[in-house]
This record gives sequence, structure tokens and C-alpha cells, in this order.
Amino acid sequence: MATKRKTAKRSKSAKRSPSLKAFARRAVSIAINERNTAKQRVAALAAEPLAAFENDKDLAAVLNILRNKDEPIAVRLGALESLQTASFSVDTFAPYRGDYLATLRKIVDDPDPELRQRVLGLLMREHDGSAQEKLLEGLKNPDKALVPPEKALQLLSYDVHAEAYLVARDIIKKPPNDDARREALRLLAADPSSAPLFEKLLRDKNELREIRQISASALNALKPDRLKEHAREILLDKSDYDDIKATSLTALEQFGDDAALGKDKALLKSVDRLSTGQATAKYKQSAKRFLSKFTK
Amino acid sequence: MQNAIAANARSEPEFAALVEALSADPARRDQLSELLRESHPVYDGRGTASIVRMRGWVLLALARGEVPDAALIFVLEELDAGADAYLVAAAARALRSYPRPTEALAPFVMRALTNLRYRDEPVSFESYGEYTVSSAGTSPVRELLTTLAWLGPHARGILHELESFSAQSGGLSRKSRIDVDRALHAIRSSDQADKPGTDSCCGTPPNGAKSTSSWQPNFRRDSEPVESVTLQDQDCELITFKEFFKGQPSIVVFFYTRCDNPMKCSLTVTKLARVQKLLEAQGLAEQIRTAAITYDPAFDLAERLRIYGRDRGVCMGAHHRMLRVTDDNDALRRHFELGVNFVASLVNRHRIEAYILDAGGRVAMCFERIHWDEQQLVDRAIEVLSEQHLDLLAQPSRR
Repeated sequence: MATKRKTAKRSKSAKRSPSLKAFARRAVSIAINERNTAKQRVAALAAEPLAAFENDKDLAAVLNILRNKDEPIAVRLGALESLQTASFSVDTFAPYRGDYLATLRKIVDDPDPELRQRVLGLLMREHDGSAQEKLLEGLKNPDKALVPPEKALQLLSYDVHAEAYLVARDIIKKPPNDDARREALRLLAADPSSAPLFEKLLRDKNELREIRQISASALNALKPDRLKEHAREILLDKSDYDDIKATSLTALEQFGDDAALGKDKALLKSVDRLSTGQATAKYKQSAKRFLSKFTK
Repeated sequence: MQNAIAANARSEPEFAALVEALSADPARRDQLSELLRESHPVYDGRGTASIVRMRGWVLLALARGEVPDAALIFVLEELDAGADAYLVAAAARALRSYPRPTEALAPFVMRALTNLRYRDEPVSFESYGEYTVSSAGTSPVRELLTTLAWLGPHARGILHELESFSAQSGGLSRKSRIDVDRALHAIRSSDQADKPGTDSCCGTPPNGAKSTSSWQPNFRRDSEPVESVTLQDQDCELITFKEFFKGQPSIVVFFYTRCDNPMKCSLTVTKLARVQKLLEAQGLAEQIRTAAITYDPAFDLAERLRIYGRDRGVCMGAHHRMLRVTDDNDALRRHFELGVNFVASLVNRHRIEAYILDAGGRVAMCFERIHWDEQQLVDRAIEVLSEQHLDLLAQPSRR
């Protein structure tokens, strides 16, 4: 509460103080002056973003920098960062929000990949329908993609109501690369109808370990009972990997039935093997923690 | 009829063309209202963004003519609890085509203005599915302020609220400030002689918009088709519909934990907690049951239900449960005639809905689309409870 009061006081005094206003105006004038170096302009944009946007003219100037493809990319990214920082002050920024969002939509297909990706990320956090449409279109038709498929899937996952499950399933069937497959699985981790897929991947010892861990985590969210069953089987399987066993151990420790686990002799024996075998210290420690909890 | 429309409008451009055709044909214009029902098959399997574009286009088609009484409730629903800028803007515009402006409409517009004030964004109504890249056009806040100006003297009830809205330092662009002044002027400058009558108050919908339905005992749908449906509660206990809902009246609300509109599911469940307190205060917590049933049973597992209810103050026990269907969700959907649709198992759109079931598990009353009042819900549930007592009194004479 005390911090909030301090912040509010500071923000009010920032609005009133002529010296701060003068400083902000000077910062904007440095930022928009093309004769200054990119470094100077970026530093000016980062200087006092909230105070700088106290009038429409200042905001228009910074939006112009962001829109202008002839400006150095570092300065445009600085302008974007400055605007985004300002947008956190919802009340102060609200009058400019419309211009800001319209500008973001306008530059969403900018030639610079970093700017494009950041703009799409900002729009997707707003659950913007146009950004969603473009990302889905890019996944269906790679010639129109604004970002790599793995990034598009990551951005689509910001909105659970985006129409992304269908396209993610298609990517898993025919992945353009390993990263895209991994991100498609991460996205499907909130889709209950994908639980059988995750069960299959978790039990597949030929599968990448990272994918099996994502599958364990997804199953924990979607079908925790099934995860418990698989976790036990994995722990009993002498040939499975230690890291997957450690993940299974955590699942059982967190969500298992304490009484049943304490009586499961085969399981405890297998965990004991993990605690004394060739596993790394980290996994041995997990196994010991499990045993101390369930063999009391 | 609904299936025929759905079959003819598989793609969004086809849907847009259908809406245009219905809008242009006076004999078929009434069908536009039907397209605003979220359970309409045309919305099956579509994502939320598509549904926003589709419903927005229907609202805009309504705005081009006269909004009929049957469509008014959908317009008010969007203003009451809508979170999407495009839909709220389209609803505000559509309201201006309602032929009978009354004082009862103003609180809905003001509520939308308060909800959207800090989330204003440019929208375009020029063509189907267009996302504008310019802020020169309209926005929900601009549309809402224009609608208040259109209401003029009918918006006197919210004048003070609009004045304090205008006096707050931030939140409005220069263009919106001009619109606020215009709305204030229109409301204040009306001739006292034209002062409208008080046809309702406190944001209850006007007579044309029906947000509650009730059925006399003889006309209630039998619960037999859902009696064997199995539900799981927040503590993983399995119970059939018959076991929980037969024997005592119940208050039932629907929700899902992944709903991202704070004015819908989160608020509904919070209000259910208040309903429980009112029942408790009147000594009725054991006589009237409460249940919150998820639309999304595949994702909303027992633990999620428990945490969601607990975080919103819901009291959970044998008479009051958070529930998920474990087998036939469609049967439940049919029994309640739920206003919901899905893309796979995920909800893509739903209305606000609360029900009062009688002691036979039959729907006695439904509150839909507009936020319901907790006390009103409890009062109606008490009426249903008293039916049971009357029935018991009548039993000896029957014999």
C-alpha cells in the first residue's frame, strides 16, 4: 500500500513538475531529431516515457518514428519499447491506445523480422483478431508467414480461444522442424482431446526427452490420473532414462496417493535403485526425498 | 431452419453474404435475431475471433434497419457484459436503431462505457472482418457516447455518472472528449416538458427485452432424460443428476474456468457465493441447493473446480457443489437449452445463464444474458420452494 501511495505521488508530481515536463520535451526533441545518433535517440526514448506522453503531439512524434521504415531499426525498436512502457500506465495512456494499436496493426508486416515479431507479440497479448488471423494464415500458407512457425505457435498460445488447436495438430503430423513440433505440443497441452497423443509420446522411449517431459507436464494438467499410471510404469522400467524417471517421481510425489505409494513395494525398490545407481546427484536426491517421504 | 442456414453459410464470406441477404429482405429480416443465438449451428466449431466477426456483422445489419424487440436482448447483453471492442461498438450502434428509446437503456450504455473506457480501440464497420489500421474512424467509446447523445433526455438517469466520468483526468482522447461534451449537452438541454417517464430503473431491461422466463409446474420440461447423467463434484465425488437435483429446489449457474471475460464466469461464480450467503441468512441453506456446472468438463477437473470456487468465496458441501459432467454433456446442454457453443471441447461463446430447478429437477425459471440480481434469484427460488410446501399440504386431500 505504501509503495502504491509513493508511486501515485510520484506520478502526480511528475505531471506537475515543470522541470520534468521540460526534461520530457527535451527527450522527445532529441528522439525525433534525425541528426542525432541512433544511440542518443534510443537513450532519449528510454529516458522518461510516461512524462513524455502527456500530449498528443509527443505521442504522434514517437508513433511516427515507429511507423517510418526509413528510420534506423534500433530507434524504431526504442520507440516501440517506450510506447509499450507507457502503455502500462493504463489511465495516462488510454487516450492514445487507439492510435497505438492502429499503428501496431499497420506495421505488423514490416520488413524487419525483430520488429514484426515484437509487434505480433504485443497484439496477441491484446487478443487482437487481426494478428491471430495473420499468424494462422502463415501457418497454413508458409509463403505468407510473418514469423517462423514455432514463434507463430508460441504467440497463438497467448490466447486459449485462438483457433490454433487444429493447425497445431496438422503441424505435429507434418512438422516443418523440431522447434515447431515442440511448440505445437506446448500449445496442445491445454487441449483435453490431445491427452492420448501425450500418453503415447510419454511412453515412447525413442522420442526426444524434452518432448517426453512436455508430454508429462501436459498430462499432469489434462489427465493427472493417467500420468500417475504411466509414471509408475516408467519408474518400474529399468531401461528408461533417469531424467524421465525423475519427472515421473515428481508427479507421483506431488499428486500420488500417499497411502498407496507407501505400500507399493515394487515401486519403492525401483526408486531405491535410482537413489543409489548411476544417476546424477540431482536425480539421486529426488529419489532419496521420495523414499524419505513414503517409507516413514 | 437453423440447420438450413448453417448449411448455406459454411465459410465466413458465405455467412456475410447470407446476413446481407436477410437484411435486405423484409420478409426474412427477423431471422437475423436467430443468428444471434450462440447455440446456432452456424457457430459450431468456430474460433472466438470468427464468432466476434460474425456476430458483429449481424448486429451491424440490424443497425441498418429497425432493431426488433426480439433482437434487443442480444444488443443489451453485449453492452451489459461484453468485453470485445468490436462487438460492443456494433451493439452501441445497433441500439440507435431501436425504435423506442427509453430510460431503461441508458444504464446499459453507461456500463459498457465504464467497462471499455480503458480498452478503447479503433474498429471498422466498412466491410466484413475488416481490422482498421487507422484511428480516424470509430471506436466503442465513440459509439457509446453517440448512443448516449441519441438517448438525450432518456439518459438523464446517468447524467451524474457521465459528468463524473468526464471529470476524471485520464482515459479519454481529445475526440472522445468532444463526444462526451456532445452527449452531456444532448442530455441536459432537453426540454423539461419532454421529460420521459420512468419506465424502469437500475439497469433492468425494458419490456421489449426478455431476460427471464418461467414455467408453471404443468409446463416444465421433464428431467427424466438427464436423471442418469453422472456429475463429479469438487471433491471428486460422483453423483447422478437425479441424486443431487431431485428432492429439493436448486439454483444452478453455468461457467468455465478458462473464460477470459471477467464480467461473465468469474462474476457469475462470485455472485453464486453471495446467493449462498443470502440463503444462509434466511436459514434456507439446507432447503435450497446451489450448483455451478462447468461448460468445459474435459478441462475443468475436480481440483480446478474446487480452487475456482474457493477463490470466489463459494461454500462447498453436500448441498452446494461445483460440478462437471463425466459422461453425457450434450444431454445436459439439451435439458437446460444452454446458450453455449464449442470449438472441439472448448467454449467459443456463451451467454450468462442461471436457473432455478424445482424439486423434480425441472427448469422452473431461467435468467439469461443480462446480469441477474442475487436477491431476485433467491426470492424466485423461495417461490419454487413454497410450491413444494403447497404440494405437501395438498397431498392428503388428493388421497
